[in-house]
Amino acid sequence: MTGALAPVGPLGAPVVAQVTAIEASLFVFVVLTALFTALARDVLAAVIIFGAYSLGMAALYTFYRAPDVAMTEAAISAGVTTVLLLLTLAKTTRADHEAAFESVNLPAAGAAGLLFGGLLLTMGDIPAVGSEDAPIWSNPDVSQWYIAQTYAETGVENAVMAVLAAFRGFDTFGEAVVVFAAGIAALIVLHREVFA
Amino acid sequence: MSLVDASLAAGYTLGDFLLVAAAGFAVLAVGMLYRAVVGPTMQDRVLAVNVLGTNTVVILAILGAALGEPTFLDIALVYALLNFLMAIAISKFTVERGGVL
Amino acid sequence: MNGSAPDSGADPDDGADPDDGADPDDGADPDSSGGFGRDRPARSDGRLDSDRRQGTPYTESQVIMPTVKIVAPFAFTYGLFVTFHGGGSPGGGFQGGAIVAAVVFMIAFAFGIEATREWLANTVVVALAVGGTLVFAGIGLVPVALGGAFLQYELLPIPDPVKYGMEGVEILGIGTIVAGVLMGLFFVLANGFSDAGGFADADAFDDEVGDGPETDEARDDGSIDGTDPDDGTAPTDGDAPGPAATDGGRAADDAATDGGRAGDDAATDGGRAADDAATDGGER
Repeated sequence: MTGALAPVGPLGAPVVAQVTAIEASLFVFVVLTALFTALARDVLAAVIIFGAYSLGMAALYTFYRAPDVAMTEAAISAGVTTVLLLLTLAKTTRADHEAAFESVNLPAAGAAGLLFGGLLLTMGDIPAVGSEDAPIWSNPDVSQWYIAQTYAETGVENAVMAVLAAFRGFDTFGEAVVVFAAGIAALIVLHREVFA
Repeated sequence: MSLVDASLAAGYTLGDFLLVAAAGFAVLAVGMLYRAVVGPTMQDRVLAVNVLGTNTVVILAILGAALGEPTFLDIALVYALLNFLMAIAISKFTVERGGVL
Repeated sequence: MNGSAPDSGADPDDGADPDDGADPDDGADPDSSGGFGRDRPARSDGRLDSDRRQGTPYTESQVIMPTVKIVAPFAFTYGLFVTFHGGGSPGGGFQGGAIVAAVVFMIAFAFGIEATREWLANTVVVALAVGGTLVFAGIGLVPVALGGAFLQYELLPIPDPVKYGMEGVEILGIGTIVAGVLMGLFFVLANGFSDAGGFADADAFDDEVGDGPETDEARDDGSIDGTDPDDGTAPTDGDAPGPAATDGGRAADDAATDGGRAGDDAATDGGRAADDAATDGGER
């Protein structure tokens, strides 16, 4: 779970910016789904395409050796988000939609494009995935310490869980209470006193 | 030295070919996205997203084999079990737009 | 929160506005969903897929129900595996809790949300959410009571305290919170907005009252309070599958419960008792 990615392409040849074919296709897939989710005029279509987006994201997370994040994405998106969005949609009325896609607000698209371009300029300074310069490798006091010491300190093998439950346990307590509070907030907003 | 490191041809290992296969499935996913986006009816989209889910299960399983990470199969299992939920949720929703949920 | 959206989930006693614009698409026959998911005793027994719990023909999909029967146990087991095995493989309480909640969603889509809502009592959902939070706080506070810091697992009075303290937090804390809250969000979203000002008069009955279709009935009958016409429409459930005895029981069931509801809380007990009696009659 800690291995560095091979800095070469799948066929052994170095590829541009070390993006392999599978990464490239997943990137294209994810960007396209995100774009169509934003542009789809029919909300139900947007929800469905958003489900497809999460499939691509989970594959991408998996490829980058983040199985915990990928599993969260899988469980939450495939199991929960789509269902909750559909339930909410069932309470709404459908707007007339002659066009398949939203019309794009050009000034807004221009502003987003500028921001995107500006962020893109910083890409050159970000270490490549799996490179020796990445903070996870170059900072032995933090990331490497967790990876090396997790089992000795806590007795569990999954460093992510150890960070969540032990090293950053207080944060996780706050998050758990936030989830609990979200449930209560839903009750309050919907004027209910019981869940089921 | 596991099976995926075994050299098959011209120095390329089995893992390399599995990665290429996974990339091929990812390309197929982009193709299937066409149906999910354009699909004139919601049933087209439901089917497309279901195929995409199955496709993702395959990609994850191949990745798990190619990269030597058997735990990736856990994620593939989640999708295998829950992709079905997404399909039935959307298809039941399309009946009377949630009227029969 | 626009005007029309909340009404589709409204209660009959607030479904007053006959001209609410909810769900233009479901103008289809209100009768087929007339007996759906309401007016059953809260402790209704029998299998979740039994005819008495299943209302509309749509909920009885011959594809979805058997498939869910097969898939749900595996998905539930897998959710428990992810929760309990978070220390050794990807996963943990959050992911496992989400999968367990997704199993409940699956069951609800197959057997009807209202039937599942009654099958999975509110107590269970609340106990999961509240219990998880209390367990997490408790595991954190025990070391404080013993003179340490919050969540200082070493001080827990159990063998291998760090490992099992973390497992306890993940499994009994986060997993149950996430499972409970997600199930609760599902049911409360399925119920929709209650603009009855639910706080004043919300009771157990508030939730047994159905969803959109009922409001449509009220609209079709030009009703003001949306309660009595239900008695008229419920027996016309001729297309609801099942033996006639069950339908009769359901109709009486409707009448009894609506009577109890039309009166106030005082009459509720009577309504529920008659309700039970009617249901039992229908069972035999």
